[in-house]
Amino acid sequence: MTNSSEHIQADGPSLSLPHCVVIIPAHNEAEDIGFVIGEINKHSNFPVVVIDDASTDNTILVARKAGVVVVPLAVQLGAWGATQTGLRYALKNDYDYAITMDADGQHLAESLPALLQPLIDNEADVVIGTCTRRGSALRKIAWSVMKRISGLRLEDLTSGFRVYDRRAIRRLAAWQATLLEYQDVGVLAMLQAAGITIKDVEVEMLPRRHGISRVFYSWTSVIYYMSYTLLLSFTKRGMKHKN
Amino acid sequence: MVAIITGIIGIAAAITIVILIRRDHLNVRFGLWWMAAAIVFAVLGLFPAFFDNIAKYLGVAYPPVLALTIGMVVLVIKILVMDIERSRSAIRLQRLTQRIALLESDLREMQGKPNEANDPANHGELDDVRSK
Repeated sequence: MTNSSEHIQADGPSLSLPHCVVIIPAHNEAEDIGFVIGEINKHSNFPVVVIDDASTDNTILVARKAGVVVVPLAVQLGAWGATQTGLRYALKNDYDYAITMDADGQHLAESLPALLQPLIDNEADVVIGTCTRRGSALRKIAWSVMKRISGLRLEDLTSGFRVYDRRAIRRLAAWQATLLEYQDVGVLAMLQAAGITIKDVEVEMLPRRHGISRVFYSWTSVIYYMSYTLLLSFTKRGMKHKN
Repeated sequence: MVAIITGIIGIAAAITIVILIRRDHLNVRFGLWWMAAAIVFAVLGLFPAFFDNIAKYLGVAYPPVLALTIGMVVLVIKILVMDIERSRSAIRLQRLTQRIALLESDLREMQGKPNEANDPANHGELDDVRSK
């Protein structure tokens, strides 16, 4: 399954990062998933895995038609549960690096070289593609509160456009990470506590092509998300994990 | 009279728990807790003087308040323990769901049809446990 000769071909210098897989968690993204896979294939040779989070539309069919591996969850686990499934897939199939991208077309495959560069340069173990311009004023206030409480020094805590190295994959595929609901503060605090270096890189992002955010879909969900994250930020502050 | 009523309530609760365990509606592990609660309820109900003495010893003027406070604390602890167990069950369920999905994708590959479009698995026919 692992292809040892992946190279990012387009845009900028040709980057070499063997044993890398792209994970796309998807829930009812039949409209966009084909486009997203096409873009990734256009800009890289990385194998793509779609984690279908119990979609009720044709996401699985569209993804399989696009020629990628689909891991179909029988029960909806949410964005992080699906992403963790992908990380478990990466671990099980001996990938050294895992890139996570949203299925809604917000993350651009042409940003992959920029995202991977710090890993190639050995500057970080995890790189987060950030787009601080995208947030509304309210979101920026939320980020700054979350950063202050959690002690995390990163620009965009919520971005799902990331690349993890093997140590990070192993840490996040573990049982302890299963309790988390979102991939931001809890995941980042867990990585930081494990001594994993996280770096953020500014990249372009587009607005969602279709549908609405899976986290911020109503006021109740925003309030729940904020309370959840604040409590998590507070309780995980300064925590050290044994590796 | 009140003592008899509360005593009967306790005994009735104990009998209900025995029936629930007999009919496999309640795990013995949880039954132990509820049985202990029912016994305490019955004993305190039948012999309220015992509780009155404890309240007097602790300087509580009105003994039922002590009973209610202790009852409330015990319930809160029980609910917290239940949520801890629920969290553990949620993790187990999630890990299992992930593993099944990974195995399902492996299975398709082994069957040599990873990307066949006209497969029932593509259209949700196999979604017997899918949550809406």
